[in-house]
Amino acid sequence: MRRRWRDVPAAAALLAPSAALLGVFVVYPLARAILLGTRKCNVSGRVCKTVGWHQYVTVWRSAPFQNALGNTLRFVAMTVPIGLVLGVGLAVLADKQLRGIGVFRTIFSSTIASSVAVASLIWLVLLNPQIGLLSHLLKDAFPVVKKPGLLNDGGTAMWGVAISSIWAGLGLTFVIVTAALQSVPRELYESAFVDGAGAWRRFTNVTLPMLSPTLLFVAVVMTARAFQTYGEIDLLTGGGPNSAGRPTETIAYLIYGKSSKIRNDIGIQSATAVLLFVLLLVVSFIQFRVLERRVHYAE
Amino acid sequence: MIRTRRTAATLTACVLALLAGTASATTPPSGSAGAGDALAGLPGCDPAALDGAGGPVEITVWSSMKADLLNKTMEDLTNQFNASQTQVKVNYVNQGGYEDTIPKFLDADQRSRPDVVQLPEYMVRSIVDLNTAVPVGACMTAASFDTSAFIPSALAQYRVEGVQWSLPFNVSDPVLLYNKKLFAKAGLDPNIPPTTLDDVVADSKKLVDSGAATYGIAIDSNFDNGGGWFLEQWLAKLGQFYTDGDNGRTARATKATFATPEMATLLTQFQQMVADKTAVYVGDNNSGADHLLAMADKDHPAAMAISTSASIGSVLTILKGGQFPHITPDDVGVAPMPGPGAKGTLVGGASLWINDSGDPAKVAAAWKYLEYMTQAQTQATWAATTGYVAVRTDAQALEPLKTALTDPRFTVAGQQLLDIPAAPTSAGPVVGPLLEVRTAVAEGVAKILTGADVAATLQEMQDQATELITDYNDRNTAG
Repeated sequence: MRRRWRDVPAAAALLAPSAALLGVFVVYPLARAILLGTRKCNVSGRVCKTVGWHQYVTVWRSAPFQNALGNTLRFVAMTVPIGLVLGVGLAVLADKQLRGIGVFRTIFSSTIASSVAVASLIWLVLLNPQIGLLSHLLKDAFPVVKKPGLLNDGGTAMWGVAISSIWAGLGLTFVIVTAALQSVPRELYESAFVDGAGAWRRFTNVTLPMLSPTLLFVAVVMTARAFQTYGEIDLLTGGGPNSAGRPTETIAYLIYGKSSKIRNDIGIQSATAVLLFVLLLVVSFIQFRVLERRVHYAE
Repeated sequence: MIRTRRTAATLTACVLALLAGTASATTPPSGSAGAGDALAGLPGCDPAALDGAGGPVEITVWSSMKADLLNKTMEDLTNQFNASQTQVKVNYVNQGGYEDTIPKFLDADQRSRPDVVQLPEYMVRSIVDLNTAVPVGACMTAASFDTSAFIPSALAQYRVEGVQWSLPFNVSDPVLLYNKKLFAKAGLDPNIPPTTLDDVVADSKKLVDSGAATYGIAIDSNFDNGGGWFLEQWLAKLGQFYTDGDNGRTARATKATFATPEMATLLTQFQQMVADKTAVYVGDNNSGADHLLAMADKDHPAAMAISTSASIGSVLTILKGGQFPHITPDDVGVAPMPGPGAKGTLVGGASLWINDSGDPAKVAAAWKYLEYMTQAQTQATWAATTGYVAVRTDAQALEPLKTALTDPRFTVAGQQLLDIPAAPTSAGPVVGPLLEVRTAVAEGVAKILTGADVAATLQEMQDQATELITDYNDRNTAG
């Protein structure tokens, strides 16, 4: 018992650097954001009047936030399942001992090397109704890509953003799942094969269970990322098309976007950011709780 | 001695302020009433403080020129300033674009703000409300600065309630770009571009009916372009105010007033053109170039587009590069912005602000830098290299601008700023949340161009703008 207390100074000294870093860069800004969320501030953000905690309720109920919340959920529902399925599918396809498979692995993982900005610019040009290659190729099958343009139509704009985002995120999912696949013992496949399991059976009964911890991790990370989507929106749609309201304005874009109407109101911005934080906390908690039951952690 | 200088300075201040008053407010006398002592209570400026500094004074400048060419040119000019004298040494820091500089500048502590910052025209009210700027008017008075060569409307853009807050540095305004080849093909005179909106409608119809072009004009609803900025321009041409308080120039604006019958007529005209397909609506134009790309479309070209004059240079350079072989640089015509009402446009672009560091020597150094950056030779180099309009007319006689202006297409934007009538409506609106107001307006324009009811939507736009202004004033005025 006494021994334990003797360790306290050493422990404190060892923890101090990271505690200080966390305090300065995480705890303090978070506490300050929560506090700012209850205030109304001037343009410098330094002269503030206290409004009270009900500002959070006001923000939550406001039409722009509700719209952004709906858009964000829609975006998550579009990108996470498709991104996950594509990532796992490609990883399983490339998980073969074949000559030249390295070329495909490199191609499939290549988007990891491109930032959101680069990916968005590529898609912005591809989808441009006047000069875009995709718009040109798909104009007969999907007239919307030419008139008014995939990103200019209220109904399809979010899909345009989602395609860009899924593509950009694919590399990371592929790399992580590939790494996990390589740690699945080959004997399991062999014994399943001997038991007469076909390819699909081996996938559902061996691969998926063995991958499940990784899939949980990837799903949580992808969801968190999708909830915070900003760059794609900023470059591709700016929250528009405005002719259809603000169909692609996500919560993150509402907080900071160049065509957001709260961009110079730090009180409302902070309140919105804290609400997003709480939302993510709840979602991650649910994901862990619900999905964990189906996850098989190898001993 | 000191006393006489003081008196002279006060006298000059009065004269300047009176001039300012008369230039910005020919109608209500309220503008000139407070103008005599407009500078009272604001941070002062003593250009002579530099002499007592003993050694070079170091100052920091934040620029907001994102494009490589613009940034490099501004940096070169700054280096030339450093080399031209020994009293001031400028540390030039590029912060990216306006959108990068603004939050950095606003969020920074007053001590960590730069001595000079380049900010766009829509930030005037916000920076005034920060209470941290030294009005350049104070320096101009103290230095007996000669502004006679400046474009009057360029200065007026940065003047609020009689105080000259900053000096325009990079100036641009909207112009009409049109394809002369398509005009000729449609049987129109390629040297007579449309000047009114009725002309635009008629010419577009001819262009489409003759089969020369798929669309007459390409229009967008970007808040920085057709969706926001242009409406302010048209309102100024109509001689109408965007907000009360004479566009916020004589008193703080409290409500938007742009939903006029004339504005409704104008928007209806555009809506009609999109509906009957003589115009193509290119959406929110998030790339900033969609309206121009519609002109470059090989199969379905538009013959005209309204764009900032700052884009002329890049358009010609790209066409010279041969990316669009069906259009040559010579096919591009540049004409004044068409619209109802008077000739001329409002000033866009950005200005240089002096931040109050509390050190008179640094303020004096900042002023010396501003003087250099706005002198005729600097502006001649700047305008010729970048395509911006020189802020003063005497720069036009100097090289390299003199040669650059032999291409008449580069003279249109400058001429428009001189053409705008000397009326209080000829200085654009100054409201704190101007960018947010433009965003709200752009949403309305997008809806109108895709068929929404004009009168109702316009009223909605105005209500939203008023709401944004009220909220801003509530947060930014004491009490």
